[in-house]
Amino acid sequence: MSMFKVGLIYSVLLVVFGAARGFLGGGDAFRRKVSVELNPGLVPPLSLPPGVGLVHLRGLGENDTLHFVLCNAGAPALLLVHSNSTRSAVTIDWPEFINSSSAGSLRVEPESSVTYSSALVFTRLWEYDDVNNTADPQKAAESSFYPPYELQNFIWSELNTTVNQSDHTVALCGGEKTQSFSNGSLCLQVSVFESEGRDEAWPSLLHNANSSQLSVWINGVTPRGNNSRFVLEFQSVGDTEFQSRVDVRSSIDDEYTPSIFKVLEWVSSPVNSSSVWGFSQWKPVAYRKARPVFEDATACRHSELVSVSRMPPSAVIQAYFTHHTQIHALNISFGLAEDPVFYNNTKYISWTVLMGLGDPPSDSFSPLIIIIITVGLVTPLVFIILGGVFVCVRKRTSQSTGYEPIN
Amino acid sequence: MADREEHQNLLDEDKDEDGDDKGRSVHLNPLCDPNHLLHRIVVLIFMCFLGFGSYFCYDNPAALQSQVIQDMNLNTASFMQLYAWYSWPNVVLCFLGGFLLDRVFGIRLGTVIFSLFVLVGQIIFAAGALANHFWLMNVGRFVFGIGGESLAVAQNTYAVNWFKGKELNLVFGLQLSMARLGSTVNMNVIGWVYARIQMTMGSAGPTTLGITLMIAASTCLFSLICALVLGFLDKRAERILNKEQGKTGEVIKLTDVKDFSVSLWLIFIICVAYYVAIFPFIGLGQVFFIEKFGFTPVQARAINSVVYIISAPASPLLGFLVDKTGRNVMWVLLAVITTLLSHMMLAFTFWNPWIAMSLLGVSYSLLACALWPMVAFVVPEHQLGTAYGFMQSIQNLGLAVMSIAAGSILDVRGYLFLEVFFIACLCMALLAVVLLYLFDYYKEGGLNLSAATRSKRAKPEDVQRLHAPRQSVGDRDHLKPLSPFGVRNRYLSRLGVQMPGHCCPHLSSLAYRSLLK
Repeated sequence: MSMFKVGLIYSVLLVVFGAARGFLGGGDAFRRKVSVELNPGLVPPLSLPPGVGLVHLRGLGENDTLHFVLCNAGAPALLLVHSNSTRSAVTIDWPEFINSSSAGSLRVEPESSVTYSSALVFTRLWEYDDVNNTADPQKAAESSFYPPYELQNFIWSELNTTVNQSDHTVALCGGEKTQSFSNGSLCLQVSVFESEGRDEAWPSLLHNANSSQLSVWINGVTPRGNNSRFVLEFQSVGDTEFQSRVDVRSSIDDEYTPSIFKVLEWVSSPVNSSSVWGFSQWKPVAYRKARPVFEDATACRHSELVSVSRMPPSAVIQAYFTHHTQIHALNISFGLAEDPVFYNNTKYISWTVLMGLGDPPSDSFSPLIIIIITVGLVTPLVFIILGGVFVCVRKRTSQSTGYEPIN
Repeated sequence: MADREEHQNLLDEDKDEDGDDKGRSVHLNPLCDPNHLLHRIVVLIFMCFLGFGSYFCYDNPAALQSQVIQDMNLNTASFMQLYAWYSWPNVVLCFLGGFLLDRVFGIRLGTVIFSLFVLVGQIIFAAGALANHFWLMNVGRFVFGIGGESLAVAQNTYAVNWFKGKELNLVFGLQLSMARLGSTVNMNVIGWVYARIQMTMGSAGPTTLGITLMIAASTCLFSLICALVLGFLDKRAERILNKEQGKTGEVIKLTDVKDFSVSLWLIFIICVAYYVAIFPFIGLGQVFFIEKFGFTPVQARAINSVVYIISAPASPLLGFLVDKTGRNVMWVLLAVITTLLSHMMLAFTFWNPWIAMSLLGVSYSLLACALWPMVAFVVPEHQLGTAYGFMQSIQNLGLAVMSIAAGSILDVRGYLFLEVFFIACLCMALLAVVLLYLFDYYKEGGLNLSAATRSKRAKPEDVQRLHAPRQSVGDRDHLKPLSPFGVRNRYLSRLGVQMPGHCCPHLSSLAYRSLLK
């Protein structure tokens, strides 16, 4: 019984604490001023190949700057660099960068102000024939895997038409010049934010000014088999002083992603400390339609982190990371075991990941829930207290007239 | 006729050992002798299985939730329509059930007709799945609903007709247990049946679902056979013993609604707000346990059925407790608070859900035992039929509407929000209980009296009843209203409470069906 009481007090405190956090917004209620520029410093006659571009998204804070660089020369990659100076800038040696993307052709200056840098690279899209309907690529036979699509070989659409200055988003769409991509494409959308908020579209991940959101979706790509399922491979590049791990957190709040109670976080923290410096956060859900409803959700599963020795085939990674780096790869596979619905059904899969600096944001209750619970619990309580007073008063007044005169 | 005879038998027990009635059946085999215990046990067996099919098939959707949603390509709101359509006909039938059984069909034909509705409804439901037409499945549930609730009334009336006095408590207890057994067996078995069919067929799909539901319909066929056998045995007993067909004894007058007191309306609010937080939750519970707590489908179904498993033994025990102590409003308050705690545990923590669900089962049984008798305390006897009918009617209306609302909430906002919605409903019920206590205290209505005080107040009426001269018995005698004491005893004996010998309830089916809800 006492454990019960403890648990009850804990739950009440949790609700109150959640309320406080919900209203006060936690510790990340700061803003950044975001600006987006395409191919900064690139002047003709130098030019990039068609469809290839580099977008620099800069979030200027009060005393620091967060740089995001998205580039699809090679495999599409998003580079995050944090500098503790408000005057830092991204400098690109374009001739070097275009010709050979030699190390050092992309720099953030002043280099001494850089505190943390990491990158996310999308390298391959695998497809396998899920004959046993297990939705687990680890259990699928080697032979059931089709040759992967290498994202470094994709042809992309022009970037300047997809840069949105007001929303601070960039979208990339492309595909191979093969039959499969004749009617479809793989798209990547990067958004950087000025302050805390949440997207309307599912999975409505909570973002803050220190994070950027990447959505990946495959639309209309012709599968090579009837039971095809897709696996996305991406790699994370970081400094050697950091170690990576993937945490699975349970969350009681599934308001924004109905029936998903887990959050997955790929965090990097310094070797001798447990504080988190950088993260990638996602929910184990993928959607099978562009505007999904509840039943369009499908599960997604991640594989173990694998250490990779070779640099990913991306120009911006090779250009920026001059020193030793550690690279880890992760596979995200889409699909639910025993699900009769495969990719073929809707020919659409979308998945969203949040990448950023510092601690990953954690969900809190929406104000509506807090209001409902508070009103719901307080109203009867008020009546109980008032009623108790009323009953006591009544008892007392009836007692005082309890004795009646005998004659 | 039956009334006087029963009255006579109980009072003149010591003189009537070899009365005329018993003399005629002396030459019959004990198994075939309607008066003999052995034969009545045979009848009891058929009576218990009469309702089994309907309870087995009522929760088929809940036990097969993911399969139904996947095979028929539904969202949760559409899935919950299967429950809503079951409740819609009962909004009206609660008033008509007794009337149909007494005046229109008679108990025997009525039972067979309602069993037939149950069977046909389940077959249409299964056919809808086989043909992959969801609208047909809804029609099937509608037809099933027409038969389901009224069948409980009929089952109860049979019990009254065949058993008397202390036996009746046992019979009602058994019937309640069979009902719960049906629900529990369904929860735990039908998933296995589906899996076997899927293995033989090779894939899941509407056909697999349809075949599973057809197999479930065989329990309804079994119930129909029981109804036919019961009808035959009852007719035979009537012929041998020369007694009338049983009657439900209900009188419904809708104009009585305007006379309902504030206390009664508060009781209605408690009833609707509370059950809305239980039945839609069980309907949607399986996937909740799979997703949030990581249970396997088999475990999730088992835990979903815990509420029913617990209420089978708990209801008679708690009924006994409430009867001994009185203070119904306090018990209702305790039940609502415990359910509230249980939902908060499920919503806001990851604690083992077995704890929360067991708590839910106990509090659900407690509320049923404490809430429904209160109606008898606040309503004059002649309006009791209307009051109970109205209560069940709005309960079904609330369930029909809220089932769909729950499904929609889940689709858009997820399980946490759904649980918060249930918590809000329970808070409303809690508020209504508090207001009921205060209002009753102010008006000195006596709802919260202890059992001792209440029996002291009721004694004069009771004595008067026992020594009443035997009036001429006409057809309308079974319609004569009873004192509140009598009605309460009538109800309590259904809970399996041991009644002292001098309380001779003329039992009707009024409050019994409420127990099964």
